[in-house]
Amino acid sequence: MIPEISDLALTEPGTIGPCHVGPDALQGIKRQQTNPTRWNGQGWHPFAAALRDSGIELRENIAACGTFATDAGGTAYGLPHGVVIARSTAQVAALLKAAQQLRVPVTVRGGGLTTEGESVAFGGVLLDMTGMSRVLHVDSAALTVRTEGGIFWHSLAEELRRYGMDYLSAPLNLTSSVGGTLGVGGIDVNSPRLGCSADQALSVQVVTPRGEIVECSDTQNAELFRRVILGYGQFGVITEATLKIRRYTPLRMHYFYYDSLRTAVEDMQLLNRNDASDYAGILTIMDCAVNLLVAFDSDEREAAFKENWQVQLRGHGEAGFALCMLRRYALRPWKLPEAWYLLQRKRELFPEFRRPEYLRDGLMHDRTVVFSRAVWKFWGSKQMVIPDLATSAEKFVAAVERGNAVCRKYFPHYTLYMVGIKLRAEHKPHYEMSCIPPDAEGWAYGCEFEPMMDDRVYSRDYLQSFKNAIYDIGVDLGGSYYRFGGMMKGYIRRVFGDEVVNRHLAMKREADPAMILNRDVIF
Amino acid sequence: MLSLFQKTSAAHKSYSDCSGCGLCLLVCPVWHRKRDLQHSPQGWAKALQHGAAPGDLADAVQDCTLCRACDPVCPEQIDIGAMILKLRRQMAHPQTAALQGRMAAQARRPAPAHQEKTALLAGAALRAHPALLNRITALLGKAGAFAVAHDDGADISLALEAGVVVPPDRLAALIEPLRRADKIIVADGLLLPYLAQWLPAAKIYSLGETLSSLEAVRRNLRSTDLYMIEPRAYHADYVRLVKYYDRLRRERGCDFNLDLQRIAIPATARGLPQRLGLAMPDDDAQAHWVLHGRSITRIVVENLEDRAAFEKISGVPVVHLAELADD
Repeated sequence: MIPEISDLALTEPGTIGPCHVGPDALQGIKRQQTNPTRWNGQGWHPFAAALRDSGIELRENIAACGTFATDAGGTAYGLPHGVVIARSTAQVAALLKAAQQLRVPVTVRGGGLTTEGESVAFGGVLLDMTGMSRVLHVDSAALTVRTEGGIFWHSLAEELRRYGMDYLSAPLNLTSSVGGTLGVGGIDVNSPRLGCSADQALSVQVVTPRGEIVECSDTQNAELFRRVILGYGQFGVITEATLKIRRYTPLRMHYFYYDSLRTAVEDMQLLNRNDASDYAGILTIMDCAVNLLVAFDSDEREAAFKENWQVQLRGHGEAGFALCMLRRYALRPWKLPEAWYLLQRKRELFPEFRRPEYLRDGLMHDRTVVFSRAVWKFWGSKQMVIPDLATSAEKFVAAVERGNAVCRKYFPHYTLYMVGIKLRAEHKPHYEMSCIPPDAEGWAYGCEFEPMMDDRVYSRDYLQSFKNAIYDIGVDLGGSYYRFGGMMKGYIRRVFGDEVVNRHLAMKREADPAMILNRDVIF
Repeated sequence: MLSLFQKTSAAHKSYSDCSGCGLCLLVCPVWHRKRDLQHSPQGWAKALQHGAAPGDLADAVQDCTLCRACDPVCPEQIDIGAMILKLRRQMAHPQTAALQGRMAAQARRPAPAHQEKTALLAGAALRAHPALLNRITALLGKAGAFAVAHDDGADISLALEAGVVVPPDRLAALIEPLRRADKIIVADGLLLPYLAQWLPAAKIYSLGETLSSLEAVRRNLRSTDLYMIEPRAYHADYVRLVKYYDRLRRERGCDFNLDLQRIAIPATARGLPQRLGLAMPDDDAQAHWVLHGRSITRIVVENLEDRAAFEKISGVPVVHLAELADD
């Protein structure tokens, strides 16, 4: 029996309740509640009782809640009142029904790889979807897989590989979850050819914020499908998904080195426009060493590239680029520290991308293992900010060059990661108010700007200023962002405009009257 | 002075350095079974970073199988195995007195006067199978002077696993006779990295690596075999052994229990309660996961525990590596 909302006050309104970080801190002290819409613990106890009555395990101890205190960004901290490990669709539905009725915020978390606090719970219940991470059915003939939504792409790959299969495209990060990725995008180095991960979903099972279980696709409950895919988790929790898969092939990888961002971007776009490679992306050490990686699934595709396109690329091989660098720094001896940094970085990084355990007969056996391990080893730290810009093909060089100038201003060392995203014309409605910029046709392009922390400690103000400076470029160019939620949500109205945001907000209010699901993330 | 838990390399990092990448949980057999972040090194590190006390994690930490798969994948190079053992040491265990008594009794046993140049530390599991131990002894004996060590440190291994401090006199009783050996072969993968610290000058190999390097064994591996690498020894010397087993794969074409990160997937999931006999092992789900989707005709194991797990659930023959050798 769920009690009335009026009975639910955890503490007297305007009084600070028990603090989950320091249980004896500040209790009973009156305060001015500056944001009257902020949830202040009302309804928690009956909600907890309702869950337990339904047989749902709710953990309220510090070991459970502390585990989820921050996300991969490490700059947003918050504690849930309790944690539920998702175990079944029915359980998720029961939880959302109770939360909707008692107006308790629900923060849904997959791999927790957000950087702006989107998967951090500031009170309420945290629903850990990784408890639902099993592959349900692999259909090798139809080339589809049905999986639970909390599965990591890498766990999915482990299972698919037993059948000689692979997913199409997924983030180059082993602990991205399928459900989380479908909600925001998912970019791989084959996205210029296969699109973003969200476009690989054929259908999804969703639990709506009211607790209804709905299967949706382009043809079934299509409106919900449009809202859930790339919907930032606002319109439902993805509990299952049917995804396209393909036969597994190892990669033939090639690297081309540039000393100009513009030239490298132009060459990458040339390859994408002409379908000249199966994989293409750019990874840089500042704007000094710009690496265009190009890869192929088959000998035939590789041979066609060598015959038709390689000669048109303006990048160098490793030896040729070393000569370029020698010439460049011989003429600029005051930049020798930069040259030294590049050399050191090369010594550390290059072997990591060529580790023999992940290569067989010169072929890379799992790109995500290689890249994700390298990313965490060389870019990972307890504090990470990765502002990004997404634009149409035409605006992309300008976005990259302007973003690069911002990086130069704020940090001594940084990396840029760029990739194209093939768009599906029939999915245009999915793309509204998402990471796909509204004016992109054919391909969208994304660039992540990742500073190297180098064991320095930066204030949150400094990091926020850096992110704002990057995002201002997006507003100016009319682009979009991959990470526009959480601490960056102030940009949503600036970049998408009031009309679009108000329309989506109205849809959200209709779907989620108590505004409980992933509250405060984008609205 | 021998230090049980001190690494010889640069000072290791601790749970406070965990950045939360989650690579450890992808390879964790306990996480795989429970799908619960609190049963993973990442979960413990994050909980400790944000206010939990070691006692809050007791059950989950005791469930860890110490396969040490998490160690080689950690990008921060946190010595996760040491972190887990340190947590266990901070938790009072009801078996502590019994384990200490067992070590004290073993320390009082007289050591042999002579030790061959090569010693095999057979471990409790192998000693319980004398026919197999004789076969291994015969195989290794062909390669030169060789003896099964009188003291194989089984009690120390169990104490290490339980987080019980090993008394210096017991440690000395194990180590001193082994100082005269040039080569030590260890069946117990948990003990192997510790022996490498305690005896830095000795050449120490796992039993699996030793047997699989024998031509008499190697030549009988088939391309349709699933070869089960013993995870503890493998992960303790990952960088070297990943290359070793890759050569074996190229030569013999057999499949291995390696995942996409080239980490060995264990066939069992035994935490401390199972190791101490306080709970029954329940390995079926883990063994099924190893076999899931594979087409094989035989399973070859380095470790007897794996044989028992597969014999229970598999329809194909399961043989120990030593049994591959021609009679």
